[in-house]
Amino acid sequence: MIRIGVDVGGTFTDFVLAGADEATLHFHKTPSTPHDPSEAIETGLRHLLEAHGVDAAEVAYVGHGTTVATNIVIERRGARTGLITTRGFRDVLELGRQARPSIYDYRVERAPPLVPRDRRVEVDERVGPDGTVLVPLDEASLATAVAALKAAGVEAVAILFLHSYRMGAHEEAARRAVEAAMPGVFVSASAEILPEFREYERVSTTVVNAFVGPRMQRYLDRLKGRIAAIGIPVEPYTIHSNGGLMTAEAVAIAPVRTCVSGPAAGVVGAAEVCRLAGFPNLVTFDVGGTSTDVSLVKDGVPAYTGDRMVAGYPVKTPMIDIAVIGAGGGSIAMVDDAGALKVGPQSAGATPGPAAYGNGGTEATITDANLVLGRLAPATLLGGRMTLDAEAARRAVMDNVATPLGLSLEEAAHGIIRIANANMSRAIRSVSVERGYDLAEFSLCAYGGAGPVHAAEVAMQCHLPQVVIPREPGTLCARGMLLTDLSTDTVRSHFADADEASWQTILALFAEMTAEGGAWLDRDNVASADRSFRRVADARHRGQNFELKVDCDGLGPADFAAFVERFHEAHRREYGYAIAGRGIEFVSCRVQAIGAVARAPQAEIAGGPSLEAAITGRRPIYVDAAAGWQEATVYRREALPIGVPVAGVAVIDEMSSTTLVLPGQTATLDRYGNLIVRIK
Amino acid sequence: MTRLADPIEMEVLSNQLLAIAEDMGSILIRSSFSSNIKERRDCSTALFDAAGRLIAQADHIPIHLGAMIGAVETILARYDLADMAPGDAFVCNDPYLAGGSHLPDISIITPVHHEGRVRYFCGNIAHHADVGGRTPGSTSGTSRSIFEEGIRLPVIRIARGGEIDEDLIDLITANCRDPEERALDLRTQIGANRRGARMLLDLTERAGSETLGRAINDLLTYTRRRLASRIAALPDGAYTFRRDLDDDGYGGDTVPIVCTARVDGETLVLDFTGSGPEARGAVNLPDSALKASVYYSVKAVLDPALLPNQGMIDPIRIVSEPGTIVDPRPPAAVAARAVTSNRLCGAVFGALYQALPPQEGMASCNDSTSATSVSGWHPRRRTTYVYPESMGGGAGAFADRDGQDAVHVHTVNSTNLPIEALELEYPLLMDEYALVPDSAGAGTHRGGLGMARQIRFLEDGTVFSARSDAHIVPAPGVAGGLPSGVTRIVRNPGPDGEELHSKASGLVMKAGETVRVETLGGGGYGPPAGRPLPLLARDLREGKVTRAAAERDYGAAMVASALALDLG
Repeated sequence: MIRIGVDVGGTFTDFVLAGADEATLHFHKTPSTPHDPSEAIETGLRHLLEAHGVDAAEVAYVGHGTTVATNIVIERRGARTGLITTRGFRDVLELGRQARPSIYDYRVERAPPLVPRDRRVEVDERVGPDGTVLVPLDEASLATAVAALKAAGVEAVAILFLHSYRMGAHEEAARRAVEAAMPGVFVSASAEILPEFREYERVSTTVVNAFVGPRMQRYLDRLKGRIAAIGIPVEPYTIHSNGGLMTAEAVAIAPVRTCVSGPAAGVVGAAEVCRLAGFPNLVTFDVGGTSTDVSLVKDGVPAYTGDRMVAGYPVKTPMIDIAVIGAGGGSIAMVDDAGALKVGPQSAGATPGPAAYGNGGTEATITDANLVLGRLAPATLLGGRMTLDAEAARRAVMDNVATPLGLSLEEAAHGIIRIANANMSRAIRSVSVERGYDLAEFSLCAYGGAGPVHAAEVAMQCHLPQVVIPREPGTLCARGMLLTDLSTDTVRSHFADADEASWQTILALFAEMTAEGGAWLDRDNVASADRSFRRVADARHRGQNFELKVDCDGLGPADFAAFVERFHEAHRREYGYAIAGRGIEFVSCRVQAIGAVARAPQAEIAGGPSLEAAITGRRPIYVDAAAGWQEATVYRREALPIGVPVAGVAVIDEMSSTTLVLPGQTATLDRYGNLIVRIK
Repeated sequence: MTRLADPIEMEVLSNQLLAIAEDMGSILIRSSFSSNIKERRDCSTALFDAAGRLIAQADHIPIHLGAMIGAVETILARYDLADMAPGDAFVCNDPYLAGGSHLPDISIITPVHHEGRVRYFCGNIAHHADVGGRTPGSTSGTSRSIFEEGIRLPVIRIARGGEIDEDLIDLITANCRDPEERALDLRTQIGANRRGARMLLDLTERAGSETLGRAINDLLTYTRRRLASRIAALPDGAYTFRRDLDDDGYGGDTVPIVCTARVDGETLVLDFTGSGPEARGAVNLPDSALKASVYYSVKAVLDPALLPNQGMIDPIRIVSEPGTIVDPRPPAAVAARAVTSNRLCGAVFGALYQALPPQEGMASCNDSTSATSVSGWHPRRRTTYVYPESMGGGAGAFADRDGQDAVHVHTVNSTNLPIEALELEYPLLMDEYALVPDSAGAGTHRGGLGMARQIRFLEDGTVFSARSDAHIVPAPGVAGGLPSGVTRIVRNPGPDGEELHSKASGLVMKAGETVRVETLGGGGYGPPAGRPLPLLARDLREGKVTRAAAERDYGAAMVASALALDLG
């Protein structure tokens, strides 16, 4: 059984092919094709199959992560979309939460609404907060609204009626009217996309879904066509923002769920790889060309969040909680007019890229600084397929940083790295220490092309005891596609004071939603043994406006007291105290349905014969002001033996990345091929 | 330009100092109970050195910018550093006795000892939902003295040697409407500082006391130099701008807020001489809130990315006349200072923009916040409720773009309560929530639009109060741009609608009655005749400007061309 994971990035599309034993992994990168991302996927798949002599018919699984939906939103190149709302509320989409995006800078504006005001039409209808109809749906006003959108030539329609999460019939009637008048138009009703209260976040999510829907459908159709043309007999899965897989059919209905598809795959990949390696508590550290993504994994489970901004638009779907900062290999270092050195968030991007790329970039970037310090070598990127111009890097650091600050070249380059590391460390603290976790119990899982070269110093700064670096860290997101399962999330808002009676209602809702999740798994032919369900209630103290997630797995009709105890426990863990006497309210309940994907366990690797055999050379590396330049041994990762520590100062190269090991640290290959760096 | 001692160490360590302030802020937000602190983030955290210099602040709301400086100054004036023990903490809120902003904003300041001496202070300030006084919420616009506004706390110790003074907690909370909530929030504030102190000591150990001290000096020097160079770039001279409040909270004449910005080399004097007399109502702006409003305005106009520390404060001097609305004498009421703060920021913006090249300026924003309060009986809960809301309006236009529609401006930046949350929580129904067409000033670029919120009361005896302004005075335009409309509050809108006063207080409503608030937009920039036709066409198409208003402001010929453009 051959399984393939694909991650489409902005510059490269990454591939991992796993053989039947899941130990033979083949990695591949090919330039992305932004005009049609499926083109690079086809090119790469054909190359992989050919290079490794695999018959397309043997491929049993293709999982892919994609930024198509996100890019449509960022570039605002989505469908011409219309919005139908309750009378009096077409501007909810534009009013948002009325806070301005930058407190001090009035030139920073909110992202313009994806549906302009003249394509937002109102209908006479009104439902109250308890779901009762206050104003019946007026068919005539609905017909007028639909006709107006038809005349405006829309390709997609979103529908938001107030309190539709309690009573969805009006939205369904509006959907039928749109479908009847405009066959083939993409329709999203808010209660179907996000049946949860808080109208702005719901309409924003629904509009994003409608806006990306038609193009996303066309993309998936092309992708399915190309994969079929290769002769691969299965349809591709897509990873969605919570790290689980969806079928192409499910994505076609709710493409908004793929908005942080790629980074989510990296986190689930890191969680699974590290769990097996014996490190269930992680901070993931994904350093790319323009940004660093950081997230927290506790006991093998990633931290989730319910909402996030996508290109300035709130999107509320369950997703892995990832903090992003503007510090990556291409981040630019510059001295400002008052004499301070700043690194990022401006980036040289892929073009011109760092000065060392030789594409006309003259500004000093983090990559240039790493090259000046010998931490990267001129010919190590992509297994030598890409060479770097060390002289250009030195010139950029000298002219832009060293000379204006009166520093030596090394001091300037190391200063850039120290500041970048400090920024990265702050992001790490924000997802961990600030949420009440002690980093001494965590490991840093470093990946992305530039993660492993920064990990040793960042881990020292954050008091993380070790760093785990998976195989080919530059392609971990693609590998994550091979390490996750099918899943879908359902949610229902339900407001009630928590007591024995309302607990029974909550359990009934759980049962109803579990049945829905089961039906979804039926469609994907998941065997009952491979199914599982997670149940969570959102609850809060009376008088609060924020909810806690309370795990309800294993609780039955007689377990209301146990629920209350779990609520207090969650409150204590989250906020540091519990208030025993104060009333509790239910707000929403959630069920996640999971269908396990068949796969072999990760297998052990053989490893090389000896350290000496893995040495490819030596080169001087700048450690810090105290230690200065030191001679480092350079190793080829594929040739390292298992369990034999490499002592710093050392550099370990592989196709997609470079790992730095500092003095006093050791790096050891474990039996699954992960590199474990012990920090002092 | 002299070089900093070590710019790299400064950048690395200043980052970590700010991270400590932010950590304290996230602990405070995470662990507090009340929505005010937790969801609206109406709180700030800061670090000071032993001399009381502000080192770093994590501010979530601009009216807190530098707001703890007064508290630390008062502590230093009143107590010897040598008398402070590790584990002590001080509490205060009073604007006249302890540099406070208004009584609901309670500060906790904690000395941090290293090697036997006080080296730093950790501080935080948080808006408590109620601190007693005549009106629930303790922010009434009509109180006549500070004694009506809640419990007054001078600087006193709330913890000694690590032990919280439970007697004092009892005394404070006994004067508040939800004692349990207040006690939790106070304990959380004390705890956040303790955590900050631990992190600060850890950083001191790691970096070395001397290195850290040097980095702090570099940081303040850098910030001072950066602001000084922004000021030096302005032409020397005096620039005056005036914005008026509708009244002082009790009707009567408009009240001027006059700001004269005097630029002299690298110093900036902001002089409020000529501003109106002390208000009879609660719209007086006490010292700490005046300073915060000024610091916010200077940062926003001259350098939005300026770091909030002593370095940005040193180049600014503030002049005001005692006995005026911007320099009230005790016991003048201050609870509704936010109204005046916003208008004053408008005056400072207007003055500073005259010193900048015209193309960098912005027309006046709504410079206002319309707060409303609805209270009544909750039949299902069998208890009374209070629903506070504050509404923004339009921002001013720029030379190259329209102003932002429907945002909070200046020192306020709170979020609205979602309609569905409102209706689930209270016996109220929202009839409309919308942009207000024609509410902005026309111009080459128009101001942002105001917003409308129309609420229906479902129970007899519901009480409505407003704390609004700009019902008389619009936002002026600049460089030929037109002024905005004004805010209106209407009871039962329609043919028999009754327009209410901006400070209408305690109106008792019957079930089925409605109140509509429509806020003003921002001022326009440049003459309307210069407006690009595609933008006028877009406004007409989107109904943000009606045809009648467009023909009045832009002329029938331009409107006809714009409409023709849209058809073609």
